[in-house]
Amino acid sequence: MADLTYREALRRALDDELARDPGVFLMGEEIGRFEGSYKVTAGLWEKYGPERVRETPISEEGFVGAGIGAAMMGLRPVVEIMTINFILVAMDQVINHAAKIRYMFGGAVGVPMVIRTPGGAGAQLTAQHSQSLEAWFAGCPGMKVVAPASVADAYGMMKTAIRDDDPVLFCENLVMYNVTGTMPDDPDYTVPLGRAAVVREGRDLTLVAHSYTVQRALRVADTMSRDGIEIEVVDLRSLRPLDAETVAESVRKTSRALIAEEGWSTYGVGAELAARIHRLCFDDLDAPVERVGGAEVPMPYSKPLELAALPLESKIEAAARGLLNESGIA
Amino acid sequence: MSEELVMPRLSDTMEEGTIGRWLVHEGDAFAAGDVLAEIETDKATMEFQAYDAGTVLRILVGDGETVALGAPIAIVGAEGETADEAASAGNGGTTQPPQEEAAAEPEPEPKAAPARKPSKSSSKAKAAVGNGSRSAAALRVSPIARRMADEAGIDLAAMAGRGSGPEGRVVKADVERLISSGELTRPAAADASPAAESAPAEGEIRELTPMLKAVATRMTQSKQTVPHFYVESEIDMTRAMRLRAELNSGLAESGDKISVNDLIVRASALALIQHPQAHRSYVDGKHVYHTHANIGIAVALDDGLIVPVLNEADTKPVREISRETRDLAGRARAGKLKQREIEGATFSVSNLGMFDVANFEAIINPPESAIIAVGATADRPVVADGEIVVRKIMRVTLSCDHRACSGADGAKLLLTIKQLLQSPSLLLV
Repeated sequence: MADLTYREALRRALDDELARDPGVFLMGEEIGRFEGSYKVTAGLWEKYGPERVRETPISEEGFVGAGIGAAMMGLRPVVEIMTINFILVAMDQVINHAAKIRYMFGGAVGVPMVIRTPGGAGAQLTAQHSQSLEAWFAGCPGMKVVAPASVADAYGMMKTAIRDDDPVLFCENLVMYNVTGTMPDDPDYTVPLGRAAVVREGRDLTLVAHSYTVQRALRVADTMSRDGIEIEVVDLRSLRPLDAETVAESVRKTSRALIAEEGWSTYGVGAELAARIHRLCFDDLDAPVERVGGAEVPMPYSKPLELAALPLESKIEAAARGLLNESGIA
Repeated sequence: MSEELVMPRLSDTMEEGTIGRWLVHEGDAFAAGDVLAEIETDKATMEFQAYDAGTVLRILVGDGETVALGAPIAIVGAEGETADEAASAGNGGTTQPPQEEAAAEPEPEPKAAPARKPSKSSSKAKAAVGNGSRSAAALRVSPIARRMADEAGIDLAAMAGRGSGPEGRVVKADVERLISSGELTRPAAADASPAAESAPAEGEIRELTPMLKAVATRMTQSKQTVPHFYVESEIDMTRAMRLRAELNSGLAESGDKISVNDLIVRASALALIQHPQAHRSYVDGKHVYHTHANIGIAVALDDGLIVPVLNEADTKPVREISRETRDLAGRARAGKLKQREIEGATFSVSNLGMFDVANFEAIINPPESAIIAVGATADRPVVADGEIVVRKIMRVTLSCDHRACSGADGAKLLLTIKQLLQSPSLLLV
């Protein structure tokens, strides 16, 4: 067991897969000599060379399309989109091609491609560069969408995503890159896609989150634990396939559910989960399912306004206390 | 700033109220003290007065509809304001369980309760506007609470509006408390006698009026929880009837007319004062002794009955009893009794003599501890001094709460009533 950063865990997973399978290659803007905008590919260009760590022009539609073609021909591309905000110009490639090809070709050919891309806000990058758009993709059949929130999951899920035979949108998080955590020593460590994890046990309320919001949820659980309130935190890890059963199992125990996400609540991950929870746990609920999301505005530049728009710990805690208050607790 | 009006507590026992009719319409302005609506409680129809001036923005509960105590019935505010503005102004203020709100209020003036405005009403108004059907849902229970209550065999009906959740919703924690306290467990009898309710004959179905509902609830509660015993007697009313005829011929000019029932009320009141052990109520494991005999007089209505109370009958002469009784009975039939006139009885008289019944047994109206059932007075052969003679005989049955008095106590009370009626001049002193 060793402590390292989320960034380093991802780099190691890429390194290990490049070493393991000669069909794996990386593609993206400035990922080679410059080592990527967020240094996730540091050292890999030197180690594997420009054939397997390919630099591209600023042409997301072009290189996502190139990745799809390579994947269809049997390679395993890992395409980096510098941030999820830039995936929008490649939307047709992602939704109309990557997600559809297995169906359109009658199952004869698939797209074993990973698109890695960080999302998230908090660095005053303002409206166009601070978005969490993963829920849009998670609503699309044919895609897998994952968003690990720990160092071990970043490593284990990246390896699984690369080995998966279908397109996987691998959502990283700008704030997560410097978060440190424990990395398993096992070089064969992998984490299956589509499985949520209970990352903290509690009896009073189920708090569901993904990506960096899991870190916030854990801090809220710590704070409230001092008042004797025990929150169970479920890390979704994958948004599609969505492991609603693990969430439901927790809600059956606590009778209360709160979903927090950095994206907008409207039509978001919380909306989907609320529907699933009501169906799976109707007779177990003690209060309506509650959601906390980013403010429904384009992200402001001003620091105070940016903080006001983010689903910070204070907002999650207030929503949790509101739910418990409705239930005659706290 | 608009606010909501809620169903007020107009009687001690009411759990819900029915809007008899609104006297204002949406958009109408009203002044403080104006009567906004007539509200039927379990006991009486009462006027609902405005506490402050305002304008009716929205009526949430229509004529004839029934809602729980504390449920919103209308939204009021300033002229030109709309109820929707009130709704959007709501921003999640803490809502009080309506029952607590009502319980915290001082006993309202019985004549007509002012329409009170809860202090934090905006969020409740929002809920009411957002879903008009909510007003009919007296009992709100979270799904897990409902399931736990079902599994534990707990009937939550009595928890309507009393839960810890928003708008009195019963939540898990409430059921956990009920389970640990052992309250509200479903009586075994309810499960044991499904036959009576399982296959009703076909026919027109009508909702009960609040009064009939109250009768049904209270009589069921009485028969299920009050251990009744009965003592019967035959009273020779020959002299009492003669006295009554004499009194009425003397009073003919005045318009007063003494009835047999007036004499029975007077006799009962005097007897009760002589027998304190038969004139006490069993309440929460204690005996409450009554200093004055407040006699409830059952008055039959077209459909149902009501029991106005003649207070301190032990201090009132027969003529006064007669006058008051006639007034109460008349207003009872007209539906014009005031709340205070149907509360506080210590004993009741139920007389079916006019229907020529020989005798019957009445159900005690708690917390009273006894009720006397009076049959018809009829000529009967009886043995007196070894001779068979014809006398005017009235059969009576006294129902007693065995927790309040013993058989001997009941028998002594009945004997005194009999002696007073058989020596009726004692009723005049």
